[in-house]
Amino acid sequence: MDSPTEAEVLALVGHRFPGGTRTIEHWENWLLTDCTGRNPLPHQLVHPVALFHVPIQGAGTSIAELFALGQVEGPGSVGLDSYDWEYFQPLHEDVDYRFEGGVTDVERCQTAGGKTYDRFVFSIDLSDPQGAPVARITNHWRLRR
Amino acid sequence: MSGESTPAEPRTIESGTIIPPWRMADVSPARMKTMAAILRDPYPVHWDRDAVAQLGRGQRVINQGPLNLSYITNMLMAWQGDTCVRRLQVSFADPVLDHQDVTATGMVTSLDMVDGELRATCDVQLVRAGESVVNGVAVVALREQ
Repeated sequence: MDSPTEAEVLALVGHRFPGGTRTIEHWENWLLTDCTGRNPLPHQLVHPVALFHVPIQGAGTSIAELFALGQVEGPGSVGLDSYDWEYFQPLHEDVDYRFEGGVTDVERCQTAGGKTYDRFVFSIDLSDPQGAPVARITNHWRLRR
Repeated sequence: MSGESTPAEPRTIESGTIIPPWRMADVSPARMKTMAAILRDPYPVHWDRDAVAQLGRGQRVINQGPLNLSYITNMLMAWQGDTCVRRLQVSFADPVLDHQDVTATGMVTSLDMVDGELRATCDVQLVRAGESVVNGVAVVALREQ
């Protein structure tokens, strides 16, 4: 895959994901929580780390589509810089949450060693079926060129 | 379950209070595979040792960033309950590899009353052999003291 130009990556700012709704089923939450090394949560509570993949999928995209959007592929092409996740209310299983978001910032950068990467930032808002805010995620990824 | 936590002792929480640590003594490659399926994550470094070897890290697999963060959230939930997390702002400094031993740690830096609940702002880290691999700030709603 050819490395995109700076103009091409900057043009991603403002890209909107399709948006949509998604529920978190018990089996998914159970397996996710097990992967974290703790016992299942009571009262159909969803483990807070679901805020990585659930917003991406609920907004109508995928990790693979985000890689394609950022024009990266292969081992070492993507790194995590940071997350900012805000929880306005606990998440529960079997609730039909609404998701909306998009790419909010892109910046071409250089490492101290002179290697080029793009700081790729996307944000997604979650709301409940009544429209009340549930959470907001802002993820900063490093797309290496 | 392989996660280990130390129950919080009843005491007054204040700036400087140390959060009981939460340890994942053996980061499991099997859990990474399950996590990759849940996330629908095509990035091979989480399940293909040859892909990681290309990066010069040996025949290993790399733990998902959200799982690293989950150990910090598990520490917070063990401390102040399953619905306590209000915000996570973290940066990822270095990958965690299979079978490594990591411990989530944290310390209260300030207390604030927000929307009628007492919240603690905490410095949090995931530490491997004395090295911080994830670090940031968490905001936690405190139980009634």
